[in-house]
Amino acid sequence: MDLTALQARIESGGRLDAEESRWIYREAPTPWLARLADFVRRRKHPEGVVTYIIDRNVNYTNVCVARCNFCAFYRPVGHGEGYVLGFDEIHRKIEETIELGGDQLLLQGGHNPDLPLTWYEDLFRGVKAAYPEFRLHALSPPEVLHLSRMSRLSTGEVLARLMAVGLDSIPGGGAEILVDRVRKLLNCYNKATADEWLDVMRQAHHAGLRTTATMMYGTVETPDERIEHMLRLREVQDETGGFTAFITWSYQPEHTERGGIEATGLEYLRTLATARIVLDNFDNLQASWVTQGGKVGQLSLAFGANDMGSVMIEENVVRAAGAAYCMDEVEIVRNIEDAGFVAVRRNMHYEVLGEPVFRQRDIPRVLALATARAEGDTSVPAELANYEARSAAAKKQRARI
Amino acid sequence: MGSDVTSPIDQDLAARAAAGARLSEADLALLAAVGDILALGALADDARRVKAGTAATYVRVLDVETATLGDAPLEVPEGATEVRLQGLPPTLEATVAAVTAARAAAGTRTVSGFSLADLVARAIEGWGDLGDVAAALKAAGLDAVADVPADRILDLPAAVRPLLEAGVLVPRVTVAAPVPATGRVDLLLRIRALQDATGALQACAPLPREVPDALPTTGYDDVRFVALARLALESVPAIQVDWVLYGPKLAQVALTFGADDLDSVSPFDDETQGRRRAAVEEIRRNVEAAGLRPVERDGRYGRLDR
Repeated sequence: MDLTALQARIESGGRLDAEESRWIYREAPTPWLARLADFVRRRKHPEGVVTYIIDRNVNYTNVCVARCNFCAFYRPVGHGEGYVLGFDEIHRKIEETIELGGDQLLLQGGHNPDLPLTWYEDLFRGVKAAYPEFRLHALSPPEVLHLSRMSRLSTGEVLARLMAVGLDSIPGGGAEILVDRVRKLLNCYNKATADEWLDVMRQAHHAGLRTTATMMYGTVETPDERIEHMLRLREVQDETGGFTAFITWSYQPEHTERGGIEATGLEYLRTLATARIVLDNFDNLQASWVTQGGKVGQLSLAFGANDMGSVMIEENVVRAAGAAYCMDEVEIVRNIEDAGFVAVRRNMHYEVLGEPVFRQRDIPRVLALATARAEGDTSVPAELANYEARSAAAKKQRARI
Repeated sequence: MGSDVTSPIDQDLAARAAAGARLSEADLALLAAVGDILALGALADDARRVKAGTAATYVRVLDVETATLGDAPLEVPEGATEVRLQGLPPTLEATVAAVTAARAAAGTRTVSGFSLADLVARAIEGWGDLGDVAAALKAAGLDAVADVPADRILDLPAAVRPLLEAGVLVPRVTVAAPVPATGRVDLLLRIRALQDATGALQACAPLPREVPDALPTTGYDDVRFVALARLALESVPAIQVDWVLYGPKLAQVALTFGADDLDSVSPFDDETQGRRRAAVEEIRRNVEAAGLRPVERDGRYGRLDR
């Protein structure tokens, strides 16, 4: 490949094809990749701003029938550590989030066969009744598919019903690598094929929802399959323009069935820089400090990222797999400013909300992320008695409520 | 590269820096003020390759707390090439005893220990002349002082010379606390002057060893200081990052910003989680993923053929 010609094309706003994309990822020198990614970021965001959001990652249940072999978070149906959060617990988390200046929950969970669509509708309706301005960035494509299969409704109908009760946007979780060979090996093909994941996103975009897109790399895929993943996202983005951001992170192997090792920090930075160049129709790339730590998270800003992601407040999935980094708003803003950018708070649509909350009023420092539930809490929400369970274990449990 | 992605650093300065030439205080002040860490890192990477080629060295160290020494027989694992004593005992006699015990267990491996700042303080507090203290420790088997915190010792040559005269090696300088951006060039020039005066140094570990949890240094801070150290200390062979203290991700990235030596790699070959997760495999994988060649060294900075 001719580096000079590729560089000229990238600088003039031209697009890389599949072969060129694969080549820069595998072969281009890291400083070259980084400087071009930084150039593309500056072209898209010339104002020198780096954004972040204050929201909370809430996992409403860890019970899951998908059994992805890279996941350390899920528990099978009937497992003693399985949980479902109560509506009141979720409301309390929302109030804590609002107290810290947040305006959104990132709400995702396992594929729990004992939570029917009506449970989600009641949850969303209740949240919107109590906190009308609060946003629900909820239910990744595989969860929408799970609800579709459970309710025997089309994914479009599921989305319509959820939107009717307050769904604001969809997180890009569950994408892993959008190549079916990989998905079969990760045991996540059944939860959603690559086409199914992309189709749910298309439907969401056509229905007026904005979504994010993600990529978890570092399991069994080849570098070329990571590029294939990016190109499939680029194609849908050309069609709908509905993705607000791309977020990539490395597989976290601790406590998972698959095991193995984590990809290195430089591999993360190279992946991010490549994504910035290849995904020329994505405006925003997030830094994954929750998997890479604050330092490499901050360095992401020199490798193409323009967003420090979420303050998060709570995180369960990555923590279960061994990563336990924490950055509160003070720390995120300090890192953004230390890197020479202006820190701006945003919402999920990347609309500017204003300056950091901690500069407007006193908010407590958060030096460790919260978890879904306190250790040893095995309580069962009373309202579950109102919903029909499918599994024998849940039927027995609910009969005792 | 095209005009939009060119380095903001003056071409003449960049050429001299990349070639590993000695830079003036004014040059270093300019480089310290460069906001573009990628440009600074690329220069430091060039300078590093001039000095070290594609090699990145690492050392496997057994850290021994002197406070617990004697609780059980000291066993040094096969993988260790340096036994490092941490924590200065309250008396010179106890310190000599600790060194003697470490020496006995270490065999031919390097025995290092203590902070020179602590030794200087104890000498003043009553242990006696620093040269005599150093001689006693050398006689007990101490090969090298482990840390010379440049930010805690005002007159570095005066503190270092008695050790060198007693035969104790002073192979590296360290930095104890985070250094404000405005103080970095001064500190590095003091380290360079120490090397000019003594020629003793094999490495500089510029990243602070005592960082408050609530206000950690940032990634930009760290790689910028590593790069600046590489460019300022052209006479010091290695720029070092602590593998444990800074973690694999930052340490690996630092290798592309001018660092070429990794300290504090575990001497234990724990393969209970699989061979690929063992300490040496992890180091080698990270070094190779940075496009470099991993080379093990011993506590005296000699490269090992294994």
